[in-house]
Amino acid sequence: MSAQDLGRTATVTREEQHGEFETRYMRINVGPQHPSTHGVLRLVVDLDGEEIVGIKPQIGYLHTGFEKTMENRTYQQGVTYSNRMDYLHGFAHDLAYVLSVEKLMEARVPDRAQRIRVALNELNRIASHLVFIGTGLLDMGALTPFFYTMREREMLLDIFELVCGVRMNFGYFRVGGLYRDVPDEFLPAVEAFLGTFPKMIEQYERLFAKNDIFVNRLKNVGVLSRETALDWGLTGPSLRASGVPLDFRKAAPYSGYEDYDFDIPTYDAGDALSRMLIRVDEMRESLKIVRQAIGRMEPGPIRDPDRRISLPPRSELENSMEAVIFHFKLVTEGFHPPRGEAYVATESARGELGYYIVSDGGSMPYRVKIRVPSLINLQSLEPACLGGMFADMIVNIASLDPILGDVDK
Amino acid sequence: MSEIDLAAVTQATVDKLEPLGGVLKTFKDMVSVTVPRENIVEAVSIAKASGFEMLSDVFGIDYLTYPGHQGERFSVVYNMRNPEGNGRIFIRVDVGEGASLPTITGLFKAANFMEREVYDMFGVTFEGHPDLRRLLLPEDFDGHPHRKDFPLGETPTLFGEGRFLDPAAFRAGLIGADPGLTGWKGGAAKGAHSEQEFGQGAGMHGKESGKP
Repeated sequence: MSAQDLGRTATVTREEQHGEFETRYMRINVGPQHPSTHGVLRLVVDLDGEEIVGIKPQIGYLHTGFEKTMENRTYQQGVTYSNRMDYLHGFAHDLAYVLSVEKLMEARVPDRAQRIRVALNELNRIASHLVFIGTGLLDMGALTPFFYTMREREMLLDIFELVCGVRMNFGYFRVGGLYRDVPDEFLPAVEAFLGTFPKMIEQYERLFAKNDIFVNRLKNVGVLSRETALDWGLTGPSLRASGVPLDFRKAAPYSGYEDYDFDIPTYDAGDALSRMLIRVDEMRESLKIVRQAIGRMEPGPIRDPDRRISLPPRSELENSMEAVIFHFKLVTEGFHPPRGEAYVATESARGELGYYIVSDGGSMPYRVKIRVPSLINLQSLEPACLGGMFADMIVNIASLDPILGDVDK
Repeated sequence: MSEIDLAAVTQATVDKLEPLGGVLKTFKDMVSVTVPRENIVEAVSIAKASGFEMLSDVFGIDYLTYPGHQGERFSVVYNMRNPEGNGRIFIRVDVGEGASLPTITGLFKAANFMEREVYDMFGVTFEGHPDLRRLLLPEDFDGHPHRKDFPLGETPTLFGEGRFLDPAAFRAGLIGADPGLTGWKGGAAKGAHSEQEFGQGAGMHGKESGKP
């Protein structure tokens, strides 16, 4: 498509003649390099004065072909790629990927591994929501909260670094368990975070949640009714802000989420304010889950003992020929799940996340289709923005929380 | 919605889809119904009316190299669920190469991006789609990369001023058969090529000239 053809993308075109004067819609381009677009989102916006009459996201700037790459790597290597999509909530992608492969392999993940997975996933959800709140308020001109939220996120990133050696792009989960056990410093570090963070949430609430300027800026902006949200396929906290209590941790529990006691906060208004505040409430619920998960953590294995899936322990390699053979086969070609197709829906910080994996019996997936929440949620920008002011568009982008790595895959 | 209700709802939906030529297939806890191409819109609307009110995803699968596969080359899968989130049904339709499907954007607004992605990655077109353009790849991209006969790592990378990185030349550079992009190994390192040639960036050439 050439630059001249861009006119095709407009939803409405109108030219009116008022005597000598002529009124026309103005088309402007937002992004892709613009701080408030949260990455490389480009929007072609049609304006009638300050009012938005057409909005088309142009995406794909970060398209990396992760699905195709994963189809050309072994199953165990897939975790290298999965967390690189949603770089703010990488554990959710790792978890969704290994769950689908485990469903194909019928792997039995030990309790300790499940609890570590859940604790890390929820801590990562908090980290993701902290970035959401910080950058969202930054878009509205509130600079200070960003520094507070980044301060707390730093504590979490230190915990992740302790566990898997890196602050992003974890690749810590394995099919059948974990890469290794958590170090001894993990539990005290999480306890320290659990001790300080509830006070921090209260601080944020004092800072902005009950602030008149903030509330008046966001109230009744970008309203998505329940029906609109369902029709446009919205999921995650944004959908729960429109009054639909859909959370896959409760609705279709995985990784033992059915054993944890937590609530699903919902709001009925469906406006940008609800979408902001619901994330603050969700951080509290995630804290509850983390507290329960580490409370129940008991020593034990962290990998499925099944030799088809997990590498044999290092000590066995020295005196067991069989262990050497399994090790060699797993390292060189990986395991072979039986033929079939598997999908497990999980709840990421942004919505429904699932990997549809087709196996042809080989050592690499035949097809990996990633149901990314951000891509589908981004479509809701259109009903949220149409008929609103241009300045509200920035607020709407922030409140829908798209991660462009997650959008473009 | 309890477990028993859900099974009944799923069964009722499957029963309604069978007169349309639907073929039920279950694998583990996943229910999928394959329907003929011409009935797909009706099948999706039946599933929607029966309680699977949300469209989770639409995606394609290319069975070209799947061992023992018979029938049409592509499958397009409609992943639908109920708003409670515990029930899910996959409605599948098989399409051949160059064939098209009717759009379901009239039933679900969410299908807009999803169908565009299928078109982008597999080249399956959707009749009546309001804005059927490529979603993630540039409009002038040649081919549909998720097809199994689309080679991996073979897309020429376009740089400014019409220069592009030819994958074959780049690979030749890596194995030492050619100075390549960086002159890391091969002729330039051994002094066989003049320094001027190296400075211009061996391995990158204009679209017209054809040869490095």
